[in-house]
Amino acid sequence: MTQLIGAILSFAFYQTVIRTTTPLLLATLGGLIADLSGALNVALEGQMLIGCLTAVIVSVYTPWYVAVLAALLVGGVLGLLMAFFALKMRADIILVGFAINILASGGTVFVLALATGGDKGTSINLPSKAVPAIDLGFLDAIPGIGPILTGLFSGHSVLSWVAALLVIGIWYFLYRTPWGLWLRGVGEYPAAPEAAGIPVNAVRTWSLLVSGALAGLGGAQLAMFNFVGFTRDMTAGRGFIALGAVLLGARHPFGALLAALLFGAFDGLTTILPGLFDWVPPEIIHMTPFIVTILALVLFSIRAQRLLALRGAH
Amino acid sequence: MALLEAVNIGKVYPGGVVANDGVNLSVDKGEVHAVVGENGAGKSTLMKILFGVEHPDAGQVLLDGKPVSFANPREAIDAGIGMVFQHFSLVPSFSVYENVVMGAEPHSGVRFDRRTAIAEVAALSEKFHLAVDPLPATGSLPVGQQQRVEILKALYRNARILILDEPTAVLAPQEVQELFVAIRSLVAQGRTVIFIAHKLPEVLEISDTITVMRQGQSVGRVKTRDVTEQELATMMVGREVVLRIDRSQVKAGAVTCEVDKLRLMDARGNAVCSDLSFKVRSGEILGLVGVEGNGQSDVISAIAGTRSVEGGAIKLDGRDIVPLSVLQRRQRGIAGIPEDRLAQGLAVGASVAENLVSTRLTDKRFVRSGLLDLRAIKAQAQALIEKFSIRVSGPQAPVATLSGGNMQKVVVARELAEQPKLLLVAQPTRGVDLGATQFIWKTIANARDAGTAVLLTSADLSELLALSDRLLVFYRGKIVAAFRNSEAVNPETLGTYMLGLRAQTPDEMREALA
Amino acid sequence: MSTEVERVRPMGRWTEFRREAGRSLIAVVIALVVAFVVVLFTSKAPFDALGTLLTAPLGRPRTIGLWIDDAAKLTVTGLAFSLVFQARQFSMGVQGQVYIGGLFATYVAVSPIGQTWLGIPLGILAAMVAGGIYGFLPGIAKARLGANEIVSSLMLNYIAIDIVNYLVRVQLGAPGMLYTAPFPATSVYPALVPNTRIDLGLIFAIIAVLAVWFALYRTSWGLKLRLVGHNARFAAYAGIRSSVIMVSAMTASGALGGLLGSMFVQGQIFGKLNVLFEGNLAFEGILVAIVARSRPLAVPFVALAYGYLRQGAQLMNIRTDVPAEVIGIVTALIIILVSSTFKFPGKAFFARLLGMRPDVPLSATAGEARQ
Repeated sequence: MTQLIGAILSFAFYQTVIRTTTPLLLATLGGLIADLSGALNVALEGQMLIGCLTAVIVSVYTPWYVAVLAALLVGGVLGLLMAFFALKMRADIILVGFAINILASGGTVFVLALATGGDKGTSINLPSKAVPAIDLGFLDAIPGIGPILTGLFSGHSVLSWVAALLVIGIWYFLYRTPWGLWLRGVGEYPAAPEAAGIPVNAVRTWSLLVSGALAGLGGAQLAMFNFVGFTRDMTAGRGFIALGAVLLGARHPFGALLAALLFGAFDGLTTILPGLFDWVPPEIIHMTPFIVTILALVLFSIRAQRLLALRGAH
Repeated sequence: MALLEAVNIGKVYPGGVVANDGVNLSVDKGEVHAVVGENGAGKSTLMKILFGVEHPDAGQVLLDGKPVSFANPREAIDAGIGMVFQHFSLVPSFSVYENVVMGAEPHSGVRFDRRTAIAEVAALSEKFHLAVDPLPATGSLPVGQQQRVEILKALYRNARILILDEPTAVLAPQEVQELFVAIRSLVAQGRTVIFIAHKLPEVLEISDTITVMRQGQSVGRVKTRDVTEQELATMMVGREVVLRIDRSQVKAGAVTCEVDKLRLMDARGNAVCSDLSFKVRSGEILGLVGVEGNGQSDVISAIAGTRSVEGGAIKLDGRDIVPLSVLQRRQRGIAGIPEDRLAQGLAVGASVAENLVSTRLTDKRFVRSGLLDLRAIKAQAQALIEKFSIRVSGPQAPVATLSGGNMQKVVVARELAEQPKLLLVAQPTRGVDLGATQFIWKTIANARDAGTAVLLTSADLSELLALSDRLLVFYRGKIVAAFRNSEAVNPETLGTYMLGLRAQTPDEMREALA
Repeated sequence: MSTEVERVRPMGRWTEFRREAGRSLIAVVIALVVAFVVVLFTSKAPFDALGTLLTAPLGRPRTIGLWIDDAAKLTVTGLAFSLVFQARQFSMGVQGQVYIGGLFATYVAVSPIGQTWLGIPLGILAAMVAGGIYGFLPGIAKARLGANEIVSSLMLNYIAIDIVNYLVRVQLGAPGMLYTAPFPATSVYPALVPNTRIDLGLIFAIIAVLAVWFALYRTSWGLKLRLVGHNARFAAYAGIRSSVIMVSAMTASGALGGLLGSMFVQGQIFGKLNVLFEGNLAFEGILVAIVARSRPLAVPFVALAYGYLRQGAQLMNIRTDVPAEVIGIVTALIIILVSSTFKFPGKAFFARLLGMRPDVPLSATAGEARQ
């Protein structure tokens, strides 16, 4: 037990958690923005997966930052596609989302096989690149707290820093700018911003675009830092866990951060527990984020219901 | 030169519905211009075209003599036209000032300048006599204040022309007077007001000019001081309109439904009504009068069973039905015509026959051992279609293909197919044309004559006065007046009670409450 | 007296059918064209590939068998989704129900009962009950707590897969293997056509189609379900207990998912429990359901057509250089196009072709519906 606690309270574990949280956090932020604008994005999984593949393939030919950008752009395009079909063509946004997931699942294997010349499982034959970690080792020099600072802040992926900044940026956007007001209004009661002349569909389109882009960015982190290279279905449900995190975080950017950290911690546990406790089956650990999401969903629903129950049946 | 003109406007909706056909409108600066017409005349469509929500298929809109074409409401707003819709467009969780400035927020760089917004809203509110506190969440405000927020929205954007779509629909007579004060103040400060209405007394009081619309066309433009209510009504429907049905010839019978010390609460734990008691008898129509939100609709929902009851009893033929489900109440003889037929009264995607049988799924004539008897269902549908003159191609047609009046007839047919003991009616003719209205009124009267007890609420005072044998006025969840209907009872009298300005003593009420 | 001129359009079922079928067909054609273009650009022998895709399944009895068997399974998952879609619920849990159903069918098959003639019927029963319960869970969460059924059902899918993986590895499987020992013959569906994969499952699929159709259109439960799907508030007003209906729809759908699980593990296709046996087939049910407009009688036909494409893609994969996954593009496009209300040029022409009258302009009383 003490071994377990020791392992958890180590900087190594902390680093692992930051690493596993990052893609999830990016996807969660994407899901949050879409959800707040009233367009539920169930395609985060597919957008992330396609982002993974895009990042890997593009990085073979270009520097890492171009690959990251490519993943972001592709994710954004997918978001635009969703917006087009769901908003302009009136298709059900859930169905369009699932269609994109199906497209991603099959399409990425298809493209992978083309790119690797036949390998449908992994991109191991491709010399794809990685996102660099930012080394702040110089902090060691600071007397006293130096090593602690290094342990906390050094060695994280560039994208982890981006994600952290995004949390603050998105919070500011939502609650301190007019456009955030518009977005939240569109999500809560679209007739109001529409009457005020705010283009509701344009707002939703932008939010889906950003949502997809963030998911794509999460994919880049996944395939260029957490792992280097592409494996089929490598997102393994993260896009859906992100939806759970949006809920768990009470649809607020800071909540999203905490929820993503929680799930990231579980993901991190998956890597250290088998080493320490042979008797905890990996499948059970793997299941935990899904179970936690359901519990969160249930708890929040109970709470929301209690508030609604007083409103009387209408 | 007119400030705003619509010339020969035409608009046909996809599906072939001709909403506007050669419509002309001419509004001068600084006047209060009313556009009247019954439901379906095309008034709202015209206003939507003026505001950029819809685009005309033919004709032109001229502002200050120059042709304009608004691609969206934003452009109309920028041109100085503001519109207050009948159904408010306010985000419930946003505060008043957020709702007012949304879309035109004061900002420094990317930051939303809340303090300036609050100050500006407060200033406007003072200037135009539209008192409302900028800070609370709009969803928590009463309807009259929400309407002020809506008007402030338009004024915040420097609307020169204010279009009000049926603003008095949800206001009691005295609140209407307050609105009129605000309108006069707007006009005194150089603005122009267009308002859509079909309450003729109000139109005659506040407007300077009236444009009458009928069946998608503009049929006349008159100066208010030159015209009478009857003349207006004739222009609106094209024939003399008789507005009352016969009072019940039969003396009301036994008590069918008794509400006893009823207590209802809302989402926030506040009492909607407490200690409410009244009776309805067979063979009478009891009208529940009140401004929307004073408890009448909640009482009807409670009796129907779609709402929970926190205290007291509701007795049908002497037995308490509060513990019973909706289905059980229906089986005991309660039928209801809901306020909103599209949201609650019909399954628009299903067929007419399916809608008609939907409340009778425990009836052995149509369902045996869980299996549907399709032939019997179709036969019943056919019979009801004929009996209620529903214009439809057949029982299998989806309800979506029917007009509003015929949809309501389906609801009425379904609820009155068997003689119910107690009929709960809410807004029976909202959005229904005159012909169907008369038919529905007659049907309700027939049901009453055959012994049904009818409980009626409506936002339309004239409908209540036309139909009811007795009237109860609700204010803040209590009954403050009770009348037997007669010529002496008129909207103004009812209005004073509706707003709590007066209340009858228990003695005064006793006779009419019994 | 009514002053209005009524629109009286013949909205018979035939007209509606033609319109919906037409739209689905056009979507399929567009999707195939896109796939063709992709293959054209990525394959060294595109016409070979396309040829294989379109004709190969008919080549041999064995491949026809694969096609029919696949179609039977697609039918069952299509029915499962059709049920929940008709109630306007978006429970995506069929995959999880398939795994749980397969798991419990396995328990019967490897138990002593599995060696008797009861192996098949009890296996199916266990699978359907287990699947039904698994479908019940998101349903009751939605009905009692308002919990979003999309999220809960998706989570349950992953949980089910993990449970099955764990149990196979640890308890049920042959040591060190990711699959169980083959089931005794009494627990495996007999083949209907020898040397093919067509087995008893086909019969069950057909029975399921008829059962679901009957339930939806000839019973009061089905009518209530459809009314709830059209307008839940109205259903409540009419005295129908919407939450009971929603839950029972999801449970029934779960039973179908469970049946599919049994069809996998007890069918000729496997005759044992493997990890990941389902191969994401459950989600193809979404496509089948929406192309079939959630109509049970249309489901088998769509399943046949789609199954044919899937087989074609597999064979194309084996015999040419085009990966089978290209069909993912087709599937996605079909779903998106069918659920859009797209207007393509020449719509009026097609409308007349399909026998629909252009609407007669009305008096403005019909405009009241617009206000």
